[in-house]
Amino acid sequence: MDEFGPHDLASYLLVAVVLFCAGVLAVATRRNAIGVLIGLELMLNAAALQFAAYGHFRALPNDSQGQTAAVFVLVVAAAEAAVALALLFAVYRTSKDIDLEQTQELGS
Amino acid sequence: MIEQLLFLVCAGAAMAGAVGAAVVRNLFHAALLLGLCLLGTAGLYLFLQQSYLACLQVVVYLGGVLVLVLFATLFSADVRGAVQRTPVWLRAVGGLGALLAAGIAVQLARAVVAHGKNLLPSRRDPENTPDAIGGADAIGDLLVGSWLVPFLLAGFLLTVALVAAVATVRRFRRPLEASRG
Repeated sequence: MDEFGPHDLASYLLVAVVLFCAGVLAVATRRNAIGVLIGLELMLNAAALQFAAYGHFRALPNDSQGQTAAVFVLVVAAAEAAVALALLFAVYRTSKDIDLEQTQELGS
Repeated sequence: MIEQLLFLVCAGAAMAGAVGAAVVRNLFHAALLLGLCLLGTAGLYLFLQQSYLACLQVVVYLGGVLVLVLFATLFSADVRGAVQRTPVWLRAVGGLGALLAAGIAVQLARAVVAHGKNLLPSRRDPENTPDAIGGADAIGDLLVGSWLVPFLLAGFLLTVALVAAVATVRRFRRPLEASRG
């Protein structure tokens, strides 16, 4: 990388790596289910950013494959957030808290 | 010069928000920092000349997912993180795992940049100038063209996710109603 700027592929990749590592850290260390959910969102966001960056820096004219892949990552993230919220709701109903260490079962 | 400065602001917001969301103890603050990270990423999409993707990021992530996460913080009995301390060994293991992930990701990126076909390490004058709405029509052409099967699968996934979410919540309502009645 010669410079950290908007015209360099490596700078986008560096941002994506930092985002992904923050997501791994959150998923590994958080005891609360919402913290884990935030980590998952960070990792998906890093993946979408990598898709978009590689798509932009391809040498083909009028190429939108990377953007389209990033749109699919967004769709998966939205579906995952909806299911995760439903699971949190179910866990909360049974145990009145969403501590992952204490949770033993989903429901009665 | 000002472009460089704006890029630094966006990239810094994304990275600072991500690291903050991972380590801040208060969960509500972590969710807000996640919003900062998502906003910075939307700015980076603008630098990649993908304004449609940036709009989608703001609408879907900031408007949908972040609101869901903020709503979910209401379920936690310990939003401030006063009770649920993470043990030191788990922090160490998590940091080690993050470093390992960073190493793997950096090596993968270097391999792709070195050997990727049709990949430019840097470009200043892209010959494919996007249209006024940031390539939305190109994405639409691809969605009903070569990406048709993933597109249909994404629709199926969304349907299944919605039905599963409703079914998961409803299944636990019945015993409560039965115990009341």
